[in-house]
Amino acid sequence: MQLRFDEATEAFRSKFVAWLDANLPAPSTTGERPTSSAGVPSWSRAFQRRMFDDGWLVPGYPPEHGGRNAGLSEQMVYFEELAGRHVSRSLNPQGLGIVASSIIEFGDDDQRRDYAIPILRAEITAALGMSEPGAGSDLAGLTTRAVPDGDHFVVNGQKVWTSGAHDADMLLAFVRTDPDVPKHRGISALIIDTDTPGLECRPFPDLMGPDHLDFNEVFFDDVVVPRRNLVGDLNDGWRICTGALAHERAMLWVLWSEGLDTSIADLVRCVGDTPLAEDDVFLDRLGSLLIDAEALRLLGYRGLARLQRGLVAADQSLLKLMGSEGQRDVALLALDALGADALDQRKGTSVFQPWGANRGDASWFDRFLNSFAGTISGGTSEIQRNIIAERVLGLPRG
Amino acid sequence: MDFELDDDQRELQRAVREVLDKECPPAYVRRIVDEGHDPTDLWDTLTGLDWPALALAPEVGGLGMTWVDQAIVLEELGYASAPGPFLATCTQFAPAVHQVGTADERLRFLGPVARGERTGTLAFDEGSGSWDPSDVAATAVAGEGGWVMAGTKEFVVDGDTADEVAVALRIDGELRLAIVPGGDLDAEPIDPIDPTTRHARIRLDGVRIDDDRLLGAGDATHALRSALEESVTAVALTTVGACQRILDLDLGHVKERHQFGVPIGSFQAVKHKLADMYRDVERARALGYFAALCIAEDDPRRGRAAAMAKASAGECQRRVVQDGLQLFGGIGYSWEHDLHLYLRRAKVGDLHFGTSSRHRRHIARLALGGS
Repeated sequence: MQLRFDEATEAFRSKFVAWLDANLPAPSTTGERPTSSAGVPSWSRAFQRRMFDDGWLVPGYPPEHGGRNAGLSEQMVYFEELAGRHVSRSLNPQGLGIVASSIIEFGDDDQRRDYAIPILRAEITAALGMSEPGAGSDLAGLTTRAVPDGDHFVVNGQKVWTSGAHDADMLLAFVRTDPDVPKHRGISALIIDTDTPGLECRPFPDLMGPDHLDFNEVFFDDVVVPRRNLVGDLNDGWRICTGALAHERAMLWVLWSEGLDTSIADLVRCVGDTPLAEDDVFLDRLGSLLIDAEALRLLGYRGLARLQRGLVAADQSLLKLMGSEGQRDVALLALDALGADALDQRKGTSVFQPWGANRGDASWFDRFLNSFAGTISGGTSEIQRNIIAERVLGLPRG
Repeated sequence: MDFELDDDQRELQRAVREVLDKECPPAYVRRIVDEGHDPTDLWDTLTGLDWPALALAPEVGGLGMTWVDQAIVLEELGYASAPGPFLATCTQFAPAVHQVGTADERLRFLGPVARGERTGTLAFDEGSGSWDPSDVAATAVAGEGGWVMAGTKEFVVDGDTADEVAVALRIDGELRLAIVPGGDLDAEPIDPIDPTTRHARIRLDGVRIDDDRLLGAGDATHALRSALEESVTAVALTTVGACQRILDLDLGHVKERHQFGVPIGSFQAVKHKLADMYRDVERARALGYFAALCIAEDDPRRGRAAAMAKASAGECQRRVVQDGLQLFGGIGYSWEHDLHLYLRRAKVGDLHFGTSSRHRRHIARLALGGS
């Protein structure tokens, strides 16, 4: 056990800090906000491309994929520095974190050249077609059908909750290619251009407001997809799907950690020196949330240490649970504590973050609602608890 | 940052577990709880293995291992619900003497501890339950060729059995530490909810101490705060250990116990309780070891980390004791079942050295810029 990183890692940190100091865009140029998780403003695209070209976008990748073959500790301090400044590497997070990384890991050279690298360089954006009306927590039960026909597939069916699809250039869609085998074994992954005839995206607003369009229903009506767009082997899509959720998983907790730290800092700032600062009930609950934030960071570091020892970091469900429920609890405490002061929907609660997606104007109620995106998407809290019970604690499947 | 035990520490953990499995199995703890067995035999075994010397400085004859190594021992002592003088001697008496005493005083009072010859404790709280230096009101005044004490100490761990009692008191308003032979004191044990962790009330009124038993010089508030950070972290770690034991017992139970033709551990209502218990144990353990690491490296974050360790251990036991008992159903409600041996230890861990809520409020005040 050590409290500090070694000198080489700290030198790596300094190098990155120097790069950030020299290259972060001026806040006066970053006012334009994303239209969705795939509708990325030009300043952000330019910055992402600079990160790629200078080998700072995904430090663990080789230079040709926007990295510098960094080790785990180096990647860790890299994420610490981004989080400390609230810098989003990409405002198309599913494109960078899941779609491009899946194609790099499982795809072929043409797919890497035509899709992964353009996504990484922010020339195109991507969406992820996973959930369906009948396949949420039971994702492997998906029924969107892709029938092989010569040198292409014909796709029919529907996806839903597809973030950013209406603004994205392509989808990575998980489809059923063999309906006659156990459900996990008949799934494949296809790259589908969103302008393909027969594909229709219908964005629908989420709980944040009627003009907050990120989710889509995506309909496939005899959509013809070239065979060369199959990622990995036919019927081997489940492996990509679980791999996709695991990408950079040793570091994903940093985003949860940043979110929780930020929420707490915002609450502390809102409370300031009001009478709440002397209220025992408030202090008691705030103390618990501060512990959540510290524990999340420590358990994240522990997962990293285990990976470095060649062990499996089995803590991802735990980290997701703690990070997402922690943010919900901060918003709940804010609402409970501020009372009538939290009534004004237009009362900003956070600081504008020039290098991220945040506008600084969300009310605590909005933030409370928004926290459920964390506890529901990417596997609900209930599913995470099942995973912990079954895979970590060894309890029998029900 | 490397937040995982190294190979040597894993080996220490295995060795400690092995000793306690053999020397302090549930049947042994039951003899303490049921029959009031005197745990001196266990202490003799542990002193024979040099456990009291593990984390003491080489200058006093200790082995100079780190606080993280000691944390491993403490977690396992909690896991075994081990009775005896280790907690009070090594994590309350020793840090207080180390922090406040001069080199000669350390050698005088900690040398015998390192050799396993003497036990000790710290008499600090006076009934507020805060273990905060600002609440100490006991006094000593010059007299009878030394000092004469006045006041009452509460909740002193092993207060009626320790060989030496480190007493926090005020002289002319300054916080000081006196080492009083246990035999000189009027100690009244309380009827404990956990017989493996015994507390006593100590009446100081009129007890005389020699001048050379008053440690250090000047106000010891800062030094005793540092010492208490160790005490608090130690209680937290034993609590985590007891909670891990309860979790393990529950996991064994729900995998074995069948109802409606299936193991009850296959029911989601049961799984989710256990997942939450696991989360709280992992959370508290992480903070316990972080505090140990901060103490080992004397990092400025140690005070906050110790408070977080204690608070999170308290939150952990709250869930684990409650749900751990509930999941056992009827058998857990019987005296014969071993579960309660560990429930008691876990609950005690929250009640002394400042409750979870008290530490949480302190942590929040730090974040809000107060003290």
